[in-house]
Amino acid sequence: MAEGRKPPAGRRRAPGRVARLSRADPHTLVGAYVMDAVSDGDRARFDQHLASCETCQAEVRGLREATARLAAAAAIRPRAGLREQTMLAAGQIRQLPPVTRDSPAGRVTRWRVPRHALVRLTGAGRPRAWVPRLAVAVAAASVAAAVVMGSAMHGAESRLSLAQGRSHAIAAVLSAPDVTMMTAEVRSGGSATVVMSHRDRALVFTAADLPALPGSRSYELWLMGPGGPRPAGMLPAARRGMSGPMVVSGLARGDKVSLTVEPASGSARPTSPPILMLGLGT
Amino acid sequence: MWPRQPSSSACGQADRAISTEYTYVNVSRTGPGAPGAPRETASPGSGGPPGADLGVLIARVARGDEDAFRGVFDHAAGPVLGTVRRILRDPAQSEEVMQEVLLEVWRTAARFDPAAGSGAAWIMTLAHRRAVDRVRSEHSAAQRELRAAVASVDYDEVAEAVEVSLDHERVRRCLTSLTELQREAVTLAYYRGYTYREVAELLGVAVGTIKTRMRDGLIRLRDCLGVE
Repeated sequence: MAEGRKPPAGRRRAPGRVARLSRADPHTLVGAYVMDAVSDGDRARFDQHLASCETCQAEVRGLREATARLAAAAAIRPRAGLREQTMLAAGQIRQLPPVTRDSPAGRVTRWRVPRHALVRLTGAGRPRAWVPRLAVAVAAASVAAAVVMGSAMHGAESRLSLAQGRSHAIAAVLSAPDVTMMTAEVRSGGSATVVMSHRDRALVFTAADLPALPGSRSYELWLMGPGGPRPAGMLPAARRGMSGPMVVSGLARGDKVSLTVEPASGSARPTSPPILMLGLGT
Repeated sequence: MWPRQPSSSACGQADRAISTEYTYVNVSRTGPGAPGAPRETASPGSGGPPGADLGVLIARVARGDEDAFRGVFDHAAGPVLGTVRRILRDPAQSEEVMQEVLLEVWRTAARFDPAAGSGAAWIMTLAHRRAVDRVRSEHSAAQRELRAAVASVDYDEVAEAVEVSLDHERVRRCLTSLTELQREAVTLAYYRGYTYREVAELLGVAVGTIKTRMRDGLIRLRDCLGVE
């Protein structure tokens, strides 16, 4: 695409030059821009243009109000329970402090919520439900080993609160009256330990000495049931050779715990052979 | 306070804040052949103080106020989920994105700048961008198909609620005031997550024309809705 020099932001153009100019004038992109109907390159180009064009900023603002109404018109009611699950997850996420210099309107920060914060579990024949994922922190291993929730969490204090908020869930499983423990070797190296409560239909998963993976890959935990695999979360990066602990709840009859190597962003279904398959005797 | 229902013909009634009072219409999807006719079961709004301003709530969220966050959820989750669903289709993944968006609101509430637009616009911008980012990632495309396939079975058994709001009616009316090409360009981009190039390809129209229609279509929509 011809970059050319920036034409004035005005909309009036000499007849006959419209086509050529419109290709070079980033301003015509404003509609597509506010609807995210642009490539990354277009967006960058327009952002640059926007920074120095107050008229355009005002226009973007107004058109965004219009698109917000498009969104409102498409509203559907969230499933019952989503709100409280979201509240729970929020309680585990540290809020950013304000900035002193303002950030641009609608600026999207690249941030994925903690796959660690939410785990989707499907009960047999039931609509799936999200449960707050209890990954993390540590039980025996000390708060310092608390898992960082991706880049979302900054600083020791957030890890600390995360650990405190979740360790009780781990403690609940560990202290269940029917707790059982299983260990198994992981095919690619290392070992896995599962501490489980049938009564609570929950387990705590930890692994030791798993081979390190390249940054683009991660270990993903699954519940393999008669209805197929359900993702149970990504194993956080190991600390001092220990991965987890993760709490997985919502176990169903016939479930096995499985581990695979997946792209770091996670998969909906296993894309590689399991390196661990552990029957739970449920 | 919300303005009363505007007179039926006008779509220029100014209503500068996003409507927060919804009537829910349960559309029971009991099978593939079930008629889409909504059964009206009006229920009270999902909580949240009527008329509470989203921007004010966000400011309170920035101070860690969990009740305010609950209010934000009540106001914004429906529009976010509905929009994301239109783009992603997969119900489970849409819920995931909806939660991500709301949690991002929680996380970055202190960065919300009321001078740069309304709270609703801020949240919906986050939501739309996130849905589109996801739909355009290849990995996610495969993932979505898989999940959709898995999800489709039990999803149809789940009653789905459609929110009918003042916005819904007014937007519908305003959309009809656009030219056909404007309307198609806007809805394909916004509700389907297509780029302007894809829209141009789809409609067999020059790229430059589509860019222009997206812009003047939105401008007309904005003016019709009376938002500034």
